Amino acid sequence: MPTDSSAFLTALRLADSSLPVGSYTASYGIEQYANEGLLEEVSDLRAVVEAYLERVVGPCETVAVANAHAASADGDLDGVLAVDERLHAVTLPREFRESSTRAGGQFCDLLLAAADGEAVAPAYATAVEAGTTPGHYAVCFGVYTQAAGLECEVACLTQGYAFLVSLLGAAQRLGRFGHTDVQSVLESTLPVLEEVCARHVETPLGEMGAFAPFAEAMGMRHERATRRLFMS
Amino acid sequence: MGYRDVAKIGIGGPVGSGKTALVKHLVPDLVDLGYEVGVIANDIMTQEDADVLRRAFAETVPEDLVRGVETGACPHTGIREDPSMNLAAIDEFTEWNPDLDVVIVESGGDNLAATFNPELADYFVFVISVAEGEDIPRKRGPGVTQADLLVVNKTDLAPYVDADLEVIDRDTREVRGGDPYVFTDCKSGQGIPTVREHIERVLFA
Repeated sequence: MPTDSSAFLTALRLADSSLPVGSYTASYGIEQYANEGLLEEVSDLRAVVEAYLERVVGPCETVAVANAHAASADGDLDGVLAVDERLHAVTLPREFRESSTRAGGQFCDLLLAAADGEAVAPAYATAVEAGTTPGHYAVCFGVYTQAAGLECEVACLTQGYAFLVSLLGAAQRLGRFGHTDVQSVLESTLPVLEEVCARHVETPLGEMGAFAPFAEAMGMRHERATRRLFMS
Repeated sequence: MGYRDVAKIGIGGPVGSGKTALVKHLVPDLVDLGYEVGVIANDIMTQEDADVLRRAFAETVPEDLVRGVETGACPHTGIREDPSMNLAAIDEFTEWNPDLDVVIVESGGDNLAATFNPELADYFVFVISVAEGEDIPRKRGPGVTQADLLVVNKTDLAPYVDADLEVIDRDTREVRGGDPYVFTDCKSGQGIPTVREHIERVLFA
């Protein structure tokens, strides 16, 4: 998995929580787990995060990043649009879709519209801007990282890491966990992230699909939550 | 149309200083002057609260132009480091209403240190309250010193909290260094026309 220094720095930039795409506003259901008393112990948090990695980040987000990256490398705009369409279809909770497409839209404005590369990145950004494709974050991420010279697996790991840190940050801000506990969960789940990325980096688009019914139910119940700090 | 095509007023300040009360005065005033107005509140935690604001502006602002933005417990991040979700909401406002003239973005957070990202607010109003203590202006803080307009609210409470308005006026003049400030009592509406005049002069002259 060789990568040059420029690509490495790009990966750090994209994984940094200061990237202004609004990721701090999304908890992807974590807030609802907390609201319903299902996130009391560190072991609860570790189990939920591992489940997200195994059942959402790997088979869904990673597959989206990897297939968008590959289609972009082939100059295949239709292939990128197909990834976007599929990801939209398999992301069941409305708030999860909205968080992803809002962040994707911001990512397009910030980076993708001005990205180097062949015709795919700016053409895809134009389609997102026009509203003819949803513009999911993972798809934007795959297209941009390909244009920026990141290896596909590095791109998947970077996106997965950013998602993981965002989830843990949400859990911490909900006031249930201390910084030491959060770092402990992060450390113990990094190998899981590595494993799921390696397992799914070559998964074909037709096999993309999350299976996380409990997390999805939490995401749907969050839509009607009376107390909300997060958009999802 | 997008967020760059509409005037944006950022209203920040500590919790309880009277930001929402100021917004409740300014919105109908601006509507009466013929402006199309949208409202975003960042310190709203529940949809129920958003409904309260929509009801407050039911006669003056279309329901779709009043929005609560959940900021993941980081309202200061939402207006300063990463305003993307607020800007996305303004983009949606402008899609629904291309004639929109101005969006008021209200946010608490970070007490006296809260400032607005200049891409999110063309005009930044910071609201403090006499009831927070006579020494608030002396504490300075980026909100107090950098705002385009400082509003010192709840002047009616001064006698009840042992705050000397002359001392607050002297200190405010010193820390503002010639930049404008207004004393208000949002309960009675005193000082509100002056706030509105400042905003109009800068944004709509």
